[in-house]
Amino acid sequence: MLQVNAMGDTCPIPVVKTKDAIKELGAQGGVVETLVDNEISVQNLTKMANQKGYGVKSEKLGENQFRVTMTVGEGAAQIAGNEPTACIIPSGREKNLVVAVSSDQMGGGAEKLGKTLLKGFLYALGQQDVLPKTILFYNGGAALTCEGSASLEDLKSLEAQGVEIMTCGTCLDFYGLTEKLQVGEITNMYTIVEKLAGADLVVNP
Amino acid sequence: MREKKPALIVTFATTAAAMEAESFCLARQLPGRIIPVPREITAGCGLAWKAPPEAEAQLTDALREAGLAWSAMQVLEV
Repeated sequence: MLQVNAMGDTCPIPVVKTKDAIKELGAQGGVVETLVDNEISVQNLTKMANQKGYGVKSEKLGENQFRVTMTVGEGAAQIAGNEPTACIIPSGREKNLVVAVSSDQMGGGAEKLGKTLLKGFLYALGQQDVLPKTILFYNGGAALTCEGSASLEDLKSLEAQGVEIMTCGTCLDFYGLTEKLQVGEITNMYTIVEKLAGADLVVNP
Repeated sequence: MREKKPALIVTFATTAAAMEAESFCLARQLPGRIIPVPREITAGCGLAWKAPPEAEAQLTDALREAGLAWSAMQVLEV
């Protein structure tokens, strides 16, 4: 039996360490016991074991201490570690969802329909229980946050609920809209890159 | 959880009919706005006109007068 101490480690480290131990078991298989300090790691290890067909059981040893025991059958260890290690996103933690609006239309096709669809998208976005953290508007999308936009009411309501509304300043200037911004703030390319790169998920309508 | 309020939802047979009604209502400054059809009505895709419930008579008269057909009008919590 091999023991893995993954106390203090966060995903994917406990899974990676456990896979290494399973490889060490070699062709004859055996038992690997992993100690972790959080339930998310227990879930991730259990998921990995189930995917691999290993026997798995977990027990809570104390406050912030869990033991996950995997039984690896003969020959089964050889397939370990060849695939990416997926992590469950801890439940309760909000995803950093960023919506990037790059046009005044949704999709390609008839302009009138595209504009109506985008209007509907921004309305429906405000009806979700989980709202995005940030909505970025750039290029043709910059018009949506300005005077004359049919989505101002929806965007103001999203902003009031804590959603960051940011419009590209270069774009506002190019289209002569700088003085017409009605909701949110003006941003620059550095912030746009930061917001997109720091997102868990980017949605492009 | 988002607070839901009663609203009059007008549905149409086609996307084109909904968009035509939207243009008409906006031009006539009739109360309401276009929204995607709420899920409570259909799982399918479509557009609906959402207005305050008290606008029903005004909208019915205006749409009828203009010869614009709609499928259904109902008050929903959205």
